[in-house]
Amino acid sequence: MKRRAANAAGDAPVRMYHVSKSYMAGQYALHDVSLEVRRGEFLFLTGPSGAGKTTLLELIFADEAPSEGQILVLGRNVARLGASGVPALRRRVGVVFQDFKLLPDRTVEENVRLALDVVGTPRREARSRVFGLLKSVGLQHRRFHHPLSLSGGEQQRVALARALVNEPEILLADEPTGNLDPDLTLEIMDLIVKASTRGTTVIVATHDHSLLERYGKRMLRLEGGRVVEDIPAAGSASGVGT
Amino acid sequence: MNRVWMLIAIAFANAFRGIRTASTTSSLAVVTIAIVLVLVGAASLLVANMRGILDEFGAELQLTAYLESAISEEDQRALANRVAAAPGVDHVEVVTSDEALERFARIAGGPELLAGLDENPLPASLEIHLLPEARTADAIGILTASLDGLPGIDELAQGQEWIEGYARAVSLVRAGALGISIVLGMAALLIVANTIRLAVYARRDELEILALVGASRTFVRVPFLLEGTLQGLLGGLIALFVVYGAFELVLPQIRFGLELVLGRAELRFFSVAESIWLVASGSGLGLLGSIMALVGGRAQ
Repeated sequence: MKRRAANAAGDAPVRMYHVSKSYMAGQYALHDVSLEVRRGEFLFLTGPSGAGKTTLLELIFADEAPSEGQILVLGRNVARLGASGVPALRRRVGVVFQDFKLLPDRTVEENVRLALDVVGTPRREARSRVFGLLKSVGLQHRRFHHPLSLSGGEQQRVALARALVNEPEILLADEPTGNLDPDLTLEIMDLIVKASTRGTTVIVATHDHSLLERYGKRMLRLEGGRVVEDIPAAGSASGVGT
Repeated sequence: MNRVWMLIAIAFANAFRGIRTASTTSSLAVVTIAIVLVLVGAASLLVANMRGILDEFGAELQLTAYLESAISEEDQRALANRVAAAPGVDHVEVVTSDEALERFARIAGGPELLAGLDENPLPASLEIHLLPEARTADAIGILTASLDGLPGIDELAQGQEWIEGYARAVSLVRAGALGISIVLGMAALLIVANTIRLAVYARRDELEILALVGASRTFVRVPFLLEGTLQGLLGGLIALFVVYGAFELVLPQIRFGLELVLGRAELRFFSVAESIWLVASGSGLGLLGSIMALVGGRAQ
């Protein structure tokens, strides 16, 4: 199924054509953005607060619908997804947020397993996959702990494990290191970069310039809802900018 | 375990988790449903027993035709045969004036009470037993009209008026019980709906995360529906036990009064099917309340 979806999406799981998003008449959170992100590509979204980074991510995981233009995610037109289409899409897109969005009354294992529970993954298989993921982020020994007993970096690693446990084709991260100190920031970013090397398309919104310089990945700069700069990854050709 | 069973197990686990997390509001919903169903159950039991008594009275319903004193025993039998052939009549018994006096003496407490009587003042009579389908006001009216004025019949007496009055009382109690049940049922629905709304609100973070990881609308909603249904089920069971306890404890206390008024007090509790109905209506209330809460709510 995954292979069929990948074919449908071609080599660009995310395609945006002249997309605008407006919450009030005449005021655009995003304005005329065209973008193509290739499979396995790593893209940094950057820009000041209010530039439209979060809106762009919300459009990709169908939390918002575009006011104008077309968005194709994994070959599906986001504006035309039905009631069952949105959950189906989100099972193929992992999302990580600055505030982790973990459930405090569930253990680490239960939080990560949530993404498998919604598709009815048998418990034994789910436990095994969760354990593997937690091991890959170095938290297997903390799986029966509750999130509030973990450090910020550990909580973000749990959130990352939850986003990756379904082996998503796209990983979106909205300021994933915004609440973390520099050491933990690098720890989390290394894990995210590692996911992209396994073929997952990754889009990370950040205004941390040190990360942009350190990783040398493709960078899309937004300002006032418009793309003002699309810098290719160091030593590679770029996707299509506006 | 395949995926469907896994999803069902997860839905139940989430429903129980919801009840545990919001134990105070859940308890409120359970108690409310229980109170409503205790009242509805008690009223239903009252109506069912009143109807039972009415049916038994109906089975014993008969017309009595008092005969003229001059009529001979031969004419009495001939008249009885004629009446027995009338539509709606099952059979006719002749009670001679001597038999009538004996009966009276038995009821009154002994023959010595009648010692001072010079002659038997009681007339002979025909006791006319009716077929079940003729035990209605209309059928009795038609039969009475056809018998009235027959030669030899002095007066027709019927226990129908008392029974009709009782039937009206049953209807009144039933209508009252239905009205009260509807009002209380609506109140219970609103309380369950608000309980579920509170549960949805309390778990908004969880719902947001579930939506993020691709939970379907069904996956999100079913636990809330189960939660309401389970609350209703528990409320229904509690109500059934309370009504049963009251029935067993209160009935012995009022048995004497009932026997005095009705002549007997063979009251019954709900049958198994009726008990299941009472509990199921609790679940139904809970489910309906949850649906009300979810329609247009946050758990989309």
